[in-house]
Amino acid sequence: MAKKCIAMLLAGGQGSRLKALTKNLAKPAVAFGGKYRIIDFPLSNCTNSGIDTVGVLTQYQPLDLNSYIGNGAPWDLDRTNGGVAILPPYSESDGLRWYKGTASAIYENLNYIERYDPEYVIILSGDHIYKMNYAQMLDFHVQRSADVSIAVIEVPWDEASRFGIMNTDEESNITEFDEKPEEPKSNLASMGIYIFRADVLKEFLEMDHGTPESTNDFGKDVIPLLLDEKKKCVAYPFSGYWKDVGTIQSLWESNMDFLSLSTEETDDYLDLYEKKWRIYSKNPSYPPQYIDANATISHALINEGCVVKGHVERSVIFQGAQIGEGSVITDSVIMNDAIIGDNVKVHRAIIGPDTVIEDGSVVEPEDGTDEIVLRMDEQL
Amino acid sequence: MERLVNKQIFGVIDATIHSDSFELLTQNRPVASLPFAGRYRLIDFMLSNMVHAGIDSVGIFSHHTHNSLQGHIGSGKVWDLDRKNGGLFFYVQNEHEADNAQLILHHNKAFFSRAPYPYVVIAPSNIVGRVPILNMLRQHKEQGSIVTQVVHSGKVLPIYLLTREHLVDLIAGMDKGNPKSLLAFIETSLADIEKTPYEVNEYLLTVDSLQCYYDNTLDLLNQDKWHAVFQKQFPVLTKTKDEPPAKYYPHSKVTNSIIANGCIIEGTITNSVVARGVKVGAGAIIRDCIIMPGVVVGKDCILDGAIIDKDVTIAEGIAVKKREVKLAVVPKGEFVFKEWE
Repeated sequence: MAKKCIAMLLAGGQGSRLKALTKNLAKPAVAFGGKYRIIDFPLSNCTNSGIDTVGVLTQYQPLDLNSYIGNGAPWDLDRTNGGVAILPPYSESDGLRWYKGTASAIYENLNYIERYDPEYVIILSGDHIYKMNYAQMLDFHVQRSADVSIAVIEVPWDEASRFGIMNTDEESNITEFDEKPEEPKSNLASMGIYIFRADVLKEFLEMDHGTPESTNDFGKDVIPLLLDEKKKCVAYPFSGYWKDVGTIQSLWESNMDFLSLSTEETDDYLDLYEKKWRIYSKNPSYPPQYIDANATISHALINEGCVVKGHVERSVIFQGAQIGEGSVITDSVIMNDAIIGDNVKVHRAIIGPDTVIEDGSVVEPEDGTDEIVLRMDEQL
Repeated sequence: MERLVNKQIFGVIDATIHSDSFELLTQNRPVASLPFAGRYRLIDFMLSNMVHAGIDSVGIFSHHTHNSLQGHIGSGKVWDLDRKNGGLFFYVQNEHEADNAQLILHHNKAFFSRAPYPYVVIAPSNIVGRVPILNMLRQHKEQGSIVTQVVHSGKVLPIYLLTREHLVDLIAGMDKGNPKSLLAFIETSLADIEKTPYEVNEYLLTVDSLQCYYDNTLDLLNQDKWHAVFQKQFPVLTKTKDEPPAKYYPHSKVTNSIIANGCIIEGTITNSVVARGVKVGAGAIIRDCIIMPGVVVGKDCILDGAIIDKDVTIAEGIAVKKREVKLAVVPKGEFVFKEWE
């Protein structure tokens, strides 16, 4: 059955700046926010926006990611017509074709898109933390009769040169795209979210595929090609919380963002407790958290299955983690099933999943620095 | 159909019990769906025991006035009981069948006679703790028992294991008395038959009254009991709600408590069990309480020795306290705007 709009979710990113966390794990599968994985955010956005068909493009270390997504049931994406499909690189008679860039990943799966004969395709990235109603963006796209709409967010001017910047006219038509400009002319950064008319997408992916010197990247190649060809490219303004968790530092920061209190709510706050826009995830079977008689907790996010016997302050504790007696955890992220022994000090650190910190250890930034420490046991 | 080794036994849970001994708590729900331990319904414990024994066919017999149980169990997916072979059989008795086990069993004869398993275990919905049903079956076979019954600290519990054929015979020959529930029928029918005890030494509890519900819930704050009920390798399975982690504000003070997900805590909580999605305002004090899902506790409230049922709202500054030994119980959905009497 034909669909109005389907989503293609790019989840092949390696996320090498997340170091040991992504050694054996694709970046979208990295644990986040006390309970979630990064990919829960775009998947939940899809289901909350009424998009019921999502192709997930995987490439780097897909094992955990694939088993996490499963049949899509946690996001209500286990559908008879549509639902979630995992789309890894595949081989054809002329050999195996790895996804060279984001555009080639979609190009190689045009047959998947055609199966649903959609009018529109939304391209998403599995690397970002945000809540967004894609249905509203689609309305905007249709109203403006655009060939492609690109979601943009205002970023601080001094950070603009880290992003792909869109220069627009007064009607928010995109006139120019600058990838990481040294002297940005605008502070509207691309969020890597594109809505295409399906026929335009196909035409330009084929054109890009036929260009040998192309790096087959949406931002670097396909969007400039559309602009060259005078296609109607429109910027869709988004405001609200949006974070790319590319580094250990930004992963730590965005976890800490969830500790914001509702009294200080700003645009830069993502409310996990909003019932009409739930972030869904696979719910493991843990009992509620057990807070011991000697525990003290101040300003924290703590998930099911935790046993807390020590002191926790300004920290995010994932499911099944245990904090031993006399231990002091401050400004830290303790991932799922980590075991913190007794009398341990953890400060400004990320402790990886299933990691064991022995009794009496100290995990904190090196003297004179405040760089976030990542401690992680090698996973089998 | 040929079955794999473990598929020798199916389960039956008698969830027809509705009791007045829980006072307001069971006004509108069967005992089976009483919220327990911050995250569960009572029936989850026995259902998980069956699933962990490799049982993939379970019949649940529920009371006609209550649909909360059906909503909770759904297709049985959480317990992996949404199967093509076996799976969940959920029977809601109709009005004529209420308190009449004879009719219920007569109308469901086919479920028992067609089940492709040689053995059956029958249990109530209000026992919490781990019952290793597979070991019970092993003992039953090794000793060539006719009926095996669980015994815990010298007390017999209404958990029976027998052959399906035997059960079908009992149903066919049913003529004496007028048993009100499936388990009452089993008990009467087996009155003259020798029952081999199966000793369970681990922590087990039968939740059968308001005071027992309260005492045993708070008893879970004892770590040994907590770990006996919640063993990592045998997780208690329940319907999940996608609640975010619990959020503790800078001035919150929580000690010796069990807290479920989705809570937002600004106040003080001690010796209490707090279920999913509860909001506790700044300056509020909760002591020795059971707070059920979705409760909102306003600023500066004092709750002491209370059971607050689902979706209750307590306005700012209100006190809800027990009177001497009598627990304060606030029923589901109540809005409390003056001191609770």
